[in-house]
Amino acid sequence: MKKIYLHPMTVRICHWINAFSFLVLIVTGIQIRYRDVIKVTSFRTAVDIHNIFGFILIFNFCLWLIYYLVSGKFKVYIPTFSLKGFVTGCIRQARYYGYGIFVGEENPHHSTPDNKFNPMQQVAYLNIMVLFIPLQIITGILLWDLKGFAYWIGLAGGVKIVDSVHVLLYLFFTSFLFVHVYLATLGHTVGEHIKAMFTGYEEVPERGHSH
Amino acid sequence: MSRFYDEVVVASGTSVEMSRDKSGRANHESSLTDDRPARFQKIRTAGIVVLGPLSGLLFICLLPLMSLLIVVTLLSKMASASDVMQSEEAAMCMGCHASQDVVKTFGNKEKMSVHISERHFKDSVHSFLACTGCHSKVSMDDHPSAKYASRREFAVQISQACKGCHSNEQLMVKPMHRAAISRSNAPPCSECHGSHSIRKSAGWKEAASTSQYCLTCHKKDLSTSVNGETLSLMIDEKLLRGSVHSSHECSHCHSEYSKTTHPLGEFKNKRELSIAFSGVCKGCHADKYQQHQGSIHASLLRQGNRNAPVCTDCHGAHTVGPKLLAETLSGTPCRKCHESTFEAYKSSVHGQAKMSGNTHAPICSSCHSAHQVKPALASRSPKATCFGCHKDAAALHKEWLPNADLHLDAIACTACHVPEAEHTVYLRVTDSKSGASIEKAKLKEYLGSGYNDLTGARANGLDDKNLWDVYQQLSERKSAAGITGTIGLQDCNKSHSLASKKWAVRQCDSCHDANSKFFKTVVMAIIAPDGHEEHYAVNRAVLGSVITLLPINQFYAIGGTRLRFLDILGILMVFGGMSVPIVHLTLRFLTIPIREAKRLNKLRREGRR
Repeated sequence: MKKIYLHPMTVRICHWINAFSFLVLIVTGIQIRYRDVIKVTSFRTAVDIHNIFGFILIFNFCLWLIYYLVSGKFKVYIPTFSLKGFVTGCIRQARYYGYGIFVGEENPHHSTPDNKFNPMQQVAYLNIMVLFIPLQIITGILLWDLKGFAYWIGLAGGVKIVDSVHVLLYLFFTSFLFVHVYLATLGHTVGEHIKAMFTGYEEVPERGHSH
Repeated sequence: MSRFYDEVVVASGTSVEMSRDKSGRANHESSLTDDRPARFQKIRTAGIVVLGPLSGLLFICLLPLMSLLIVVTLLSKMASASDVMQSEEAAMCMGCHASQDVVKTFGNKEKMSVHISERHFKDSVHSFLACTGCHSKVSMDDHPSAKYASRREFAVQISQACKGCHSNEQLMVKPMHRAAISRSNAPPCSECHGSHSIRKSAGWKEAASTSQYCLTCHKKDLSTSVNGETLSLMIDEKLLRGSVHSSHECSHCHSEYSKTTHPLGEFKNKRELSIAFSGVCKGCHADKYQQHQGSIHASLLRQGNRNAPVCTDCHGAHTVGPKLLAETLSGTPCRKCHESTFEAYKSSVHGQAKMSGNTHAPICSSCHSAHQVKPALASRSPKATCFGCHKDAAALHKEWLPNADLHLDAIACTACHVPEAEHTVYLRVTDSKSGASIEKAKLKEYLGSGYNDLTGARANGLDDKNLWDVYQQLSERKSAAGITGTIGLQDCNKSHSLASKKWAVRQCDSCHDANSKFFKTVVMAIIAPDGHEEHYAVNRAVLGSVITLLPINQFYAIGGTRLRFLDILGILMVFGGMSVPIVHLTLRFLTIPIREAKRLNKLRREGRR
């Protein structure tokens, strides 16, 4: 086993702020949208908290973006430019999650600080961080001040469409959270990835070993 | 006459006596002149020559004077004889009729004083007549007690006497008389002219104002009949004098009438007369008349609703009160037709303030305007009406209400400030640029046969597909139009029951909840030519339909009108996300033996080495 420094401090802080914000936004989102199903707080309280954590998330996202762009680490999100290599990598990774993991095969991807994500993670996180979260932020800001952004909302097709996009992404993030947390338990041990997200260091088996 | 002859006789006698006296003296003088006969003879001759012609001349001059004296004396004797006759009859009549206490009771128990004012009668144009000149059935010997059913019947009967002197032909010269005579229920002469105190019109007509002249007749209980309707022609002088038009003469409004002309009005019925006469007000109040032309009332009138109010319906005809009176609870004319609305207003914070004496508190015209009366705009243009007075309302709402401007655009003030009322979502086809509702005629033009998609009768109201069709047709023919929505009250009367702001809805949950009562009913509102809105039921499911994502893209309350499609998709996505770890973990659990076997095989292979 060897220890590698996989998650720098900034990334870890961003991650946990993100994680907490997401949880709060999901819960308050339920309170805003599904009041006829579950009613814990008032609508006003739910909206206020949702707005606060929305802005925290925006701030955090900007921090993350600046860090990754300045440090040059953003490339970890960029899949290989070789289509064949990317498709092969995805199939190999999908085969592992769909078959190999059950028969005790070794994870084809070995995380290093420069190559942190497998091809499937790359395509998923790239979409999430570059497309979905910015879109969620934009729609969130538009919904925060409907009158002030009336022009832009009009361009987007109306408040109903803007909110539908926001809710659609909200549902995606909520459902993805289950997958994300589960996948986080598929490390060398159940808590290895999670521990690494606190310490920065992850214990990985020596190349050639598998458990 | 005898006195006249007596006097004449006496005068002749005197003349004769004088003649005797002269001759006597002459005789005496002739006895004295016997001594101087020639001298006296000359003097006598000269006297005869001079005095003779002088006496003749004097006699000729006195003759006409004496004749005139005789005629005057004769006439005065004749008049004196008539006076004697009339005064005897009058004295006899006035013996009773001078008393103020004598009263005649008619068959209908109506009472009438039979008192005659001697002074007024003597001043009247008929003072030369004896009582029996008109009251022919009565004489100094007989006073039959006639029985009349009513005072009017008595007046009609007695007025027949007028015809004795005033022939129909003579009366027909005046149009009003001509009209009156031709009617079976014409008022008796005495109704206008009075009875015992009729004065010659030349004596007072010129001095009287036009109004005084008109009121001579019109302050009496006059009426006319038009197509079976009775139109009172009586003007209450007191009310007229108390109106804001008290300084005007009748002819200022009734310009074709004057002290010399009185044409006969021609109109189909009383209502048409009122409508026609409303044009008269325009003469002075052109601005108000123009405002009225732009009102819902004038619009209804133009469409053929002859009961739609015109000037006199609100202001009265001859009793026009001051503006301030119309702004009082008892004086506002709107309550006459809009009674239930007015009752709702009285219960409101505005009505209560008015009742407590706050003269600045709004009343009907404060919101609807006095002349350019518009239909209720509360659900169409929520802010416009209330913000006219509540200028700080927007700022006050911003203090606590997120997206206050948006709320104030989409929600009628009444929706929150009449908390107990039922709500409705009003959908409208509006111009995308101006935001103004597109009127019915334009809408028909834009939609063609597709207009029926909006108005066709359906059991459950318009559905999402209908709205989609409308949206598509609008996009094809008029791209700058869309369907917008506002929240208002179901019953416009309730809009007037505004409560104190401490009772207003402040909880966001009231709207932002799928079970909110604000979204229970939905209608499509189309502005008819008269300004009224026609409402067509819409199935409330359209608010949550994904098909209306584009057609109704601007009306949306988070949590209140959410899309059902996203609800279903959300359940699938979340359960899908949860199922990944569950299924994967289950498979991993089930495949533990495979991995265990593989691990043992591997250990075994490593052990062999």
